[in-house]
Amino acid sequence: MKSRTHRRALPAVLTLAVLAVAAAGPALRAGQAAPAPRVQTIVIDPGHGGLETGAKGALGNLEKDITLAIGLKLKALVERNLGLAVFMTRDRDVDVSNENRAAIANNHKAGLFISIHANGSVQRKAAGSETFFLSLNATDEETRRLAYLENNSSELQTRIDPSTEDDLMMILWDMAQTAYIKQSGRLAELVQTELDAMLGTRNRGIKQAPFKVLTGVACPAILVEAAFISNPDEERKLASDAFQSRVAEAIYRGLVRFIRAGE
Amino acid sequence: MAANDRRRKKRAALSRPALVLGGLALVLAVLIVVFFSDGTEEKVKRFIDANVPKPAEAGGGAGPAAASRTVTLFFLADADDLLHKEARDIAAGPTAADEAERALAELVKGSERGLVSPLPAQTKVRQVFIGADGLATVDLSREFAEGFAYGSTAELAAVYAVVDTLVFNFAPVKRVVILVEGAEKETLGGHVDLTRAFLPDYSLVAR
Ligand SMILES: [Zn+2]
Repeated sequence: MKSRTHRRALPAVLTLAVLAVAAAGPALRAGQAAPAPRVQTIVIDPGHGGLETGAKGALGNLEKDITLAIGLKLKALVERNLGLAVFMTRDRDVDVSNENRAAIANNHKAGLFISIHANGSVQRKAAGSETFFLSLNATDEETRRLAYLENNSSELQTRIDPSTEDDLMMILWDMAQTAYIKQSGRLAELVQTELDAMLGTRNRGIKQAPFKVLTGVACPAILVEAAFISNPDEERKLASDAFQSRVAEAIYRGLVRFIRAGE
Repeated sequence: MAANDRRRKKRAALSRPALVLGGLALVLAVLIVVFFSDGTEEKVKRFIDANVPKPAEAGGGAGPAAASRTVTLFFLADADDLLHKEARDIAAGPTAADEAERALAELVKGSERGLVSPLPAQTKVRQVFIGADGLATVDLSREFAEGFAYGSTAELAAVYAVVDTLVFNFAPVKRVVILVEGAEKETLGGHVDLTRAFLPDYSLVAR
């Protein structure tokens, strides 16, 4: 019960925090020439891990193993060719909460966040590759709350106490992605184009969905579904080193195009 | 004897106003509870459902024929793995929440035309509550979360089959929160955020 009431109050506080940051942003940058921030750090998020296996293939392959293999290949490509800092939300088979995945990105001031998954459907025939970015799914209630808060923004500043430690940090994560939806959509498009060109899988396009891992990430963020592990043909591909390398290469090419376009 | 009678009469005379007052207070209390406490209406209804014998279900023939209504359910097709509409008759009333529970039970039960239910077959619909603010709270049994090793596509289909079924068929429902076994669950399998209310998404539905 206690945690429930806490949870109820949380969204309002989160909105306060996000607005406060949004309001403070322009003021802080006013003196500078204000170029688009260059991407200096990339956070790669291999989906699932540990007890949380993700989807399972009929041949016994687990989503968590495939996402980690692709993630490590992508890390090597970026480090070797771009010289950017790369952090992994996990680099071995461990459980990581969705909140912590976003926190790792934000703590490292990630310029891009790439979550890697292998898809699963109840239908074995389902096949193809797709790239997601966050859908807002904003309700009337949230819209009203934002309007109210915008009119009372002085109240915001006093409510955000910088001495608050972990709670504030977590608060800042929660709705952060809402400020990056447009760029995330662009990144999704570029990565999906490369996946389509390189994998020879059905092109399922870019889509928006309310994925938990993306909500708190404070930079352009996408979730790549490389292919369907629930489809035996694609499971075989996903388990192969060659295909995993092609997925990593395609994501790499997409994010290079995104970074170049921003320079 | 006479004194005793008088005393009894006196006690009765005293307690009558007290009784009336007490009665009024009780009625007031019930009214307050019913009108101001979230969910109580539903509990009262459930209590009545559980304790008042119902007329025989359809087929009994006696009395007014049990009314039915047609709802639209959403099932997966192999050809395009989109959600496809399928009409189904369910018993009508007494409340939209009752009908919503029946509609979701039919969604679990599956298609009559060879399509696939996106919900694990063992899922039970524990309760649907529809608030005055248009928020439907759906409580599904643990099998909903445990029945599949969910991938993103499976998770999206399961969630939006529930959400779309409720918003599409029941006018008072504008958005939907899904609970699992009476409690909030972050995701079914690591993907879709269940901690916020869903608006319907008909982009997963075949045209
Ligand atoms: Zn996944």
